[in-house]
Amino acid sequence: MGIGNLVRSKRFWLGLVLVLAVALPFLIGAYRLQIFIFAITYSMLALAFRLTLNVGLPRFDVAAWWGVGAYTTAMLMLKANMSFWLTLPIAVVMSVVLGYVVFSVSIRRGMMVFMMFGMVFALAIQQVLGTVKFFGGWGGTPALPPVTIGSHVLNNKMWIYYVGLAFLLFNVVVYYLLFNSRIGRAWNAIGSGLRLASSLGVDVVGYRLANVLVSNAFLALAGSFSVMYQAMVLPTTYGFQRSIYVMMYVVLGGFLSPLAGPIIGAVLLTSLSEAMRAVQQYEPIVTGILTVLIIMFIPQGLTGLLHGRVRPLFLRLWPAKAGVQVKGPAGSTQVSGPDEKAGG
Amino acid sequence: MTLQLFVQLLINGLMIGGIYALVASGFTLILGVLQVFNFAQGHFYMLGAFIAYAVATVMGAPYIVAIIASLAGMAVLGILTYFSIIKWTLRSGFFHTMLVTVAFGTIIGQLAVLKFGYSTAVVAPLIESTLQFGGISLNPGKLIVMAGAIVVMVALWWFLKTKIGVAMMACAENREVACLQGINAEKVFWVTMAVGCGLCGIAGALVAPVLSASTNMGSQVFLKAMIVVMVGGTGSMSGALLAAFVVGIVESFAFQYVESFAPLVIFALVALLLYFRPGGLLGKPLPIPGQ
Repeated sequence: MGIGNLVRSKRFWLGLVLVLAVALPFLIGAYRLQIFIFAITYSMLALAFRLTLNVGLPRFDVAAWWGVGAYTTAMLMLKANMSFWLTLPIAVVMSVVLGYVVFSVSIRRGMMVFMMFGMVFALAIQQVLGTVKFFGGWGGTPALPPVTIGSHVLNNKMWIYYVGLAFLLFNVVVYYLLFNSRIGRAWNAIGSGLRLASSLGVDVVGYRLANVLVSNAFLALAGSFSVMYQAMVLPTTYGFQRSIYVMMYVVLGGFLSPLAGPIIGAVLLTSLSEAMRAVQQYEPIVTGILTVLIIMFIPQGLTGLLHGRVRPLFLRLWPAKAGVQVKGPAGSTQVSGPDEKAGG
Repeated sequence: MTLQLFVQLLINGLMIGGIYALVASGFTLILGVLQVFNFAQGHFYMLGAFIAYAVATVMGAPYIVAIIASLAGMAVLGILTYFSIIKWTLRSGFFHTMLVTVAFGTIIGQLAVLKFGYSTAVVAPLIESTLQFGGISLNPGKLIVMAGAIVVMVALWWFLKTKIGVAMMACAENREVACLQGINAEKVFWVTMAVGCGLCGIAGALVAPVLSASTNMGSQVFLKAMIVVMVGGTGSMSGALLAAFVVGIVESFAFQYVESFAPLVIFALVALLLYFRPGGLLGKPLPIPGQ
């Protein structure tokens, strides 16, 4: 297939998905629409997870920053009677400033410390949200006021869906512009070869910090959006379990498409967990087994299939001998570090 | 602060520190040798506690048998995990092996919830009475946990001096060179998984009579093990041991005075430590991918 053909078909699919997404509220009922609203929120979380993966930093504190955004918006709406739209920039600034304070030290110590420090922060913030009276404790806040535009109250599922879609589109457009800018190229350089990038003069710590803070900003936006459809905010919603699920969305969707992969994964797994509502207690087991199988047999995820870069099944069935070094990018001496597969 | 309270807090800290030391040294061993970030470590610990409960309370066997059963059960599960899952993903790189252990941990955790629910399972303590020691009353169960942890740590130290232990250290140092010297990396890997997971099993079995077993005990301990690994320096065994007791004692005292803000205090202390001593307390971590 020629390149021109491929681009044309890609645009065609993109347009089709957009049209379907806009027409969705007219095609399905309010209950199913609620699932898609969840899927939109989780897509935003998965995109933020995928963003920091671009510089070789997996993060397991996604849900905590999501909670920071949600609590900032909820508290400002409840205690200061602010409009929902005014709280959005404050939530973003809150998340970015707090993120700078938390990560400015740990990000210098490499990927492992960044990841572990994030998890410890997630634990601490959940404890704070649960125990401080101001935030409402473990029982959550009182009922949140509905979101309005002017005098119009957005309590209809359809309106919430469209606002969410707009948020998601905003995310995707900003990510797309970032990926195709000078900053994005520096991020990709760091992700695909840390040592090479730093030896070429890329400021690894600075660009990594910028990447994590952008991710934080979008997590806070997702948190603010989730306030729209939740009657109250609960600390337990923003726990470690959700961060693990976000990771699974990204794995299922695949790493090769930094924008489509996380969204596809989030929509599919959210639908799966909804389909298994009747046997809810088995749902984590099925999701876990699915993730294990995906990593073992299609390590590039579902979108990896489209790229045609997936190893045939029989080749993967025979693992490499232990200790054999996978050749890293540009002669790096790492034993198959995270850079290779995770890089965009 | 009275002497009574001080000694009790210290004993609590040393006890929980011993547990952290076992879990964190297993974690560090697997991280250093296999270069696998084992997310399922906390779940192995939880399963160890439930095996102890099943053997000691349900079957009525002596407590020492329960500990050995936990060790053996978790070691076997670790080997099975290696051959069924981790071996096949090692080639895909650090990130993929980490994700596979996350998913595996989720499966184990949910299976345990299906089997045991959210209630706690209590293992009967060995000695019912409390010890009186110069006007200070002590819970003998906590002393047994401490003694058990120390015995296991000495055994681990001895194990790392044997031939296979030295091979493990060589693999952690430089896998390629170790293979060139004729070390069977495959064997080293599954032995490491067995030891690392077995340590968690022992930790779970030791803690079961004091804190009782529950299905959500694993993730708490796993996060504490993360703190221990950061404080001790990523990939450093002796650092992890020292850090485990430091974290245990700090946590014990912090919990007494600021209660639920204890995680926040520990978080702040870890941040300060990372700022002033990036290599951990002892400051000589092993090389880990992705730095």
